Amino acid sequence: MSLLPQLLFTGIGIGSIYAMVALGFVLLIRSANVVNFAQGEFSMLGAYAMVILLTGFGLNYFVSLGLAVVAMAIFGVVFASITYWPLRDRGQIPVIISTIGATILLSNLILATYGPSPEVLPGLFDGAGFLVGNVFMDSQYLTIIAVTAVLVGLQYLIFEKTMVGKKLQATSQDKEMASLLGIPVIAMIFGTFAYSAALGGLAGILVAPILFVSVGIGPLIALKAFAANIIGGFGSIPGAICGGLIIGIVETLGASYISVPYKDAFAFLMLLAVLLVRPQGLFGERIAEKA
Amino acid sequence: MALSRRFALGLISAAALAGSLVPAAAEDTIKIGMAAPLTGVAAEVGHFQQAGAELGIERVNAEGGALGRKFELVIEDDQTTNPGIVLAFSRLINRGDLVAVLASLRSTQVNAISADAKRAGIPVFFGGTDPSLTQNGNPWFFRTRPNDSFSAKVIADYGVNTLGKKKWAIVHSTDAFGTAGAKALTASLKALGIEPVLVQGFNNSQADMTPIVLAVRQSGADIIASYTPLETDVAVLARQFKQFGINAPWVGSASVASTTALQLAGPALHGTFAVADYNSAANDEAKVYFDAFSKKVGRPPDYTSAWTYDSIRLIAEAVKKAGSTEPAKVREALLSLKDFKGAEGTYNFDQNGDGLRGYNIVRNDKGTIVFERHIAFDK
Repeated sequence: MSLLPQLLFTGIGIGSIYAMVALGFVLLIRSANVVNFAQGEFSMLGAYAMVILLTGFGLNYFVSLGLAVVAMAIFGVVFASITYWPLRDRGQIPVIISTIGATILLSNLILATYGPSPEVLPGLFDGAGFLVGNVFMDSQYLTIIAVTAVLVGLQYLIFEKTMVGKKLQATSQDKEMASLLGIPVIAMIFGTFAYSAALGGLAGILVAPILFVSVGIGPLIALKAFAANIIGGFGSIPGAICGGLIIGIVETLGASYISVPYKDAFAFLMLLAVLLVRPQGLFGERIAEKA
Repeated sequence: MALSRRFALGLISAAALAGSLVPAAAEDTIKIGMAAPLTGVAAEVGHFQQAGAELGIERVNAEGGALGRKFELVIEDDQTTNPGIVLAFSRLINRGDLVAVLASLRSTQVNAISADAKRAGIPVFFGGTDPSLTQNGNPWFFRTRPNDSFSAKVIADYGVNTLGKKKWAIVHSTDAFGTAGAKALTASLKALGIEPVLVQGFNNSQADMTPIVLAVRQSGADIIASYTPLETDVAVLARQFKQFGINAPWVGSASVASTTALQLAGPALHGTFAVADYNSAANDEAKVYFDAFSKKVGRPPDYTSAWTYDSIRLIAEAVKKAGSTEPAKVREALLSLKDFKGAEGTYNFDQNGDGLRGYNIVRNDKGTIVFERHIAFDK
């Protein structure tokens, strides 16, 4: 009985989670030129918002989901005006540090108000999954894979095929030039923060039935998602997706065929290998601008 | 800098207090230090530990304290990390006014402060269950939970003799607790003539356990034993065992029956067994503690807090017996206590500082933890 199909399914499922959070990273890099270390905390907050709405207020799953995502979008705007806006003209490093500060603040705020006890969040489907051959398909992983696929398509269309996407890219590359060309730079940037926070929140809500809702889920996902970005190429959308999937698959196969305790090491060995052989990442060609 | 300023502030306030109308007795308490994970991964457990110790303090004070003095708890946060507890422990020790200290439930953290505890020269109580912790010649270490050589013996005894299983898979976390537990269980099984078909380690905080669960399925084991400290890992493991159709009986370390794991895993843990050093039905003191804790915290207590409650009561008893708070005398008194009835069981400290030598086997009966039996050994 071969384990490979099962391991591939799990790897792709886990990889999709990394990919989804990595997408949020990429968006902010591409449009606002911001490396947001609080991306994992967006996921944590989204999951907590969902717990409050679904379990606390007892609302319908989809109503809660909609409200939580909208709440996260609003939060994204607030987040941008506090951590990004005052520092926008000082280059990348101060903004990075400010997002790290936000990470610490947010996780401790949740710890202080909501307590350290992990919460249970039900998934979209009550059934745990089904068997195809001898491969167990976890319904939550399937949901994540499907949602990630849809979001990837959407994001590709927005960035590559629409005017809004082109305006966003122009804003990222040169704010001054963009605003001279009549692009509403401020709206573009705040809009991206809102979308990125909503996306992060959605990822958190989808991941929560697997990982449970606790303060720890932010860093658990964000670290791998960050590695996914670097493997795929900083600021590349296909790169983020492939990077996430590669990490998910490599760590799952590595754990099963080589060593379980070294599971996390495989992801980062992969990262080192890519940095050595192809420092710009698999899909990266914009590295020169970021350097 | 910070320490000396704190010390100076302490002196000033002590002087102010002494000079004021406050009677001397109010500040002349017997102080017990506690390093607990109030933040970090085990923050939830930390608050249970704190509540247990506070209940212990309330009880000994209600019983009149010792030497005409009341007891008081001094807490430092250990952040659930090894550097965190080293810092917290040194803060506590540097105060210089503590009679004893309660340290961690996690073996790896107890290891981290081992050398400092030896130098500190006051009794240090802990709940980490790695057997080797009390075997490095530290006269000040006192363990108020049974160590894992006993949990391993009890798991092996129950699985082989009661459940009649011979093909064992052992899954364990790769930290000090998990590794030592798996080693002890392998040895206990060997003593019963059994070689496990799988011993599989994994790091704490796993998002996915598929590789481990598949390895268990491949091994053809008819019983699973686990040594893993984190409840979230237990819950992920339980869910994936069920998903992959593994229904072999599971006898786990204490976390499998902890309140948090039950809440997270729900039906996935139904029918599992665990060794539990604390169970409310095991003895009368356990029942008393159950009532007090449930009233204070609003949740049933588990193994994470009963040991801190017992530790405080043991210290009070030893101080009374010694008639002094002098560390060497308190230590002698602790070692000479006979059959002290605590919530965790009946304490008789050996020269290593191990107080308990038995475990309860409990079963998850549709989400309720029921007491199966107590298995104890003489040594």
